[in-house]
Amino acid sequence: MIFPDKINSNRVGTLRVPTKLFAAVQFLFPFLVLGSLWEVLIRLGLVNATLLPAPSMLMQELYELFFRKQALQHHLYHSLYRLLLGYLLAVMVGVMMGTVLALSKVVRQMFSVTLSLLISIPTIAWIPVLLITLGLGDKTVITAIFLGGVFEITYSTVAGMRSVDRQLTNAARIMGATRWDLFFKVLLPGSLVSIMPSLRLSVGYCWRALVGGEMLSAMIKWGLGKMIYEARFWNDVKVMLVGLAAIGILGVVLDRLFLKTLEQATLEKWGMLVER
Amino acid sequence: MIVNSDVKIAINNVTKVFGANSNLVVALEDFSLNIPNNKFTTIVGPSGCGKSTLLYLLGGFDKPTAGEILMDGKPIAVPGPDRGFVFQDFALFPWKTVIGNVMFGLLHNGYNKKEAKEIAMDYISLVNLNGFEHAYPHTLSGGMKQRVGIARALAYRPEVLLMDEPFGSLDAQNRKNMQRELVKVWEKLKKTVVFVTHSVIEAAYLSDIIVVMTARPGKVKGIIEANIPRPRDYIGDDYLAVRKQVLLLLEEEVQKEISQNRHGPL
Repeated sequence: MIFPDKINSNRVGTLRVPTKLFAAVQFLFPFLVLGSLWEVLIRLGLVNATLLPAPSMLMQELYELFFRKQALQHHLYHSLYRLLLGYLLAVMVGVMMGTVLALSKVVRQMFSVTLSLLISIPTIAWIPVLLITLGLGDKTVITAIFLGGVFEITYSTVAGMRSVDRQLTNAARIMGATRWDLFFKVLLPGSLVSIMPSLRLSVGYCWRALVGGEMLSAMIKWGLGKMIYEARFWNDVKVMLVGLAAIGILGVVLDRLFLKTLEQATLEKWGMLVER
Repeated sequence: MIVNSDVKIAINNVTKVFGANSNLVVALEDFSLNIPNNKFTTIVGPSGCGKSTLLYLLGGFDKPTAGEILMDGKPIAVPGPDRGFVFQDFALFPWKTVIGNVMFGLLHNGYNKKEAKEIAMDYISLVNLNGFEHAYPHTLSGGMKQRVGIARALAYRPEVLLMDEPFGSLDAQNRKNMQRELVKVWEKLKKTVVFVTHSVIEAAYLSDIIVVMTARPGKVKGIIEANIPRPRDYIGDDYLAVRKQVLLLLEEEVQKEISQNRHGPL
């Protein structure tokens, strides 16, 4: 151990700050600065508080929504359940379709234009169609979420499988790997380089589809998208902003808690992470 | 065709052409060679002479355009565990640890996990990687990676070991170390080895038999037997004499290759 304090601290001027504290400050700094600026502008009466409520008012609203009305948790629950269902479906189908496309040249040539076409349609454009074919409820929203993620995952699976080094498959084949092993032990782990980042990316696409779907489906009563949309009847910007913040925070939490952890346990551990 | 019992692999009139229509490249033309059993055979040649192509054909990764390759009298059609392959760029599975990589071939050839682990450990110590069995390849140096590559290719006990410029990406010092260790390993196992390199030093240091190839399209230019006891001395007279013999044969072809490229499309 050489100079342990140097390793676990950062220098700020002549001060040494422990790394954890430094990270916390780094994390909170933008919120504190922007939040206080925002608060001050409103307190000074420079901005109309009904149009843009101050952070303190949002905190109060959050408390109201969560503890008094106990509505926020219901919205969260319904949105999360739809998101997970649609997303997991998209991951499963996307990886399967991508595998078929990657492994069969005939199928790939047949469908490559179709895939490019589908991937370029904004998911929200599907929703009116889904509303008519699948009705005004959960099915439409979940299908929209599915469509939001599935093509991106298909695409990255194809790219991933095709990018697996030929030498790795050669190595496996000469050691006697069957086709099955070749797929599960070489192609699939090898294509994670491309699949993992797209799993993180496509959650975002799924969120967009979710919010759009909830806003447009009339039979839906609960969901963060619905909460934001309904709030406009009461001119309640506070509820809208709380909804936006909830979506953002959930997005970060899902990414850091699950997907980034998954990436660390695979690509990072194997030294396959491509810095972007 | 009569199979000589001392011949492990017979390469008969093999031609390999790459590309299509107007972009044809003839890598090998009417190439014939017998690889003897339990000897260390090295193939040297100027770059682009088709020596790696030949090794890939032996591996079964690719098929000859014409001619046949027989191993113990049976044609080589697909890759299979009767052969082991050591790749120039290691080709280790990054998602498997050192022991995981070495166990791969064993688990696909009828060994259970426990047996595979034991055998893998033996081969890991054979290449002096004790203590690194749970490391992932990206944490290892080039030389260590290739040790894993060699252990992986040997562990399931193939009859023939094919090595494609295995030390080509190592620095000079590392390269010499690996050559010395490969000789030690080979003396323990006495397996049929086909080793491809463009280094004359390497060829003369390692081999029983050195096959010099012509510039493209590759043919056999000459075959030199090096009956020098191992371990060889990098400045020994008999070793240097072999080196000189190989160099003389090779130099002509290297010049040819250079002049070909000078008049080529570049």
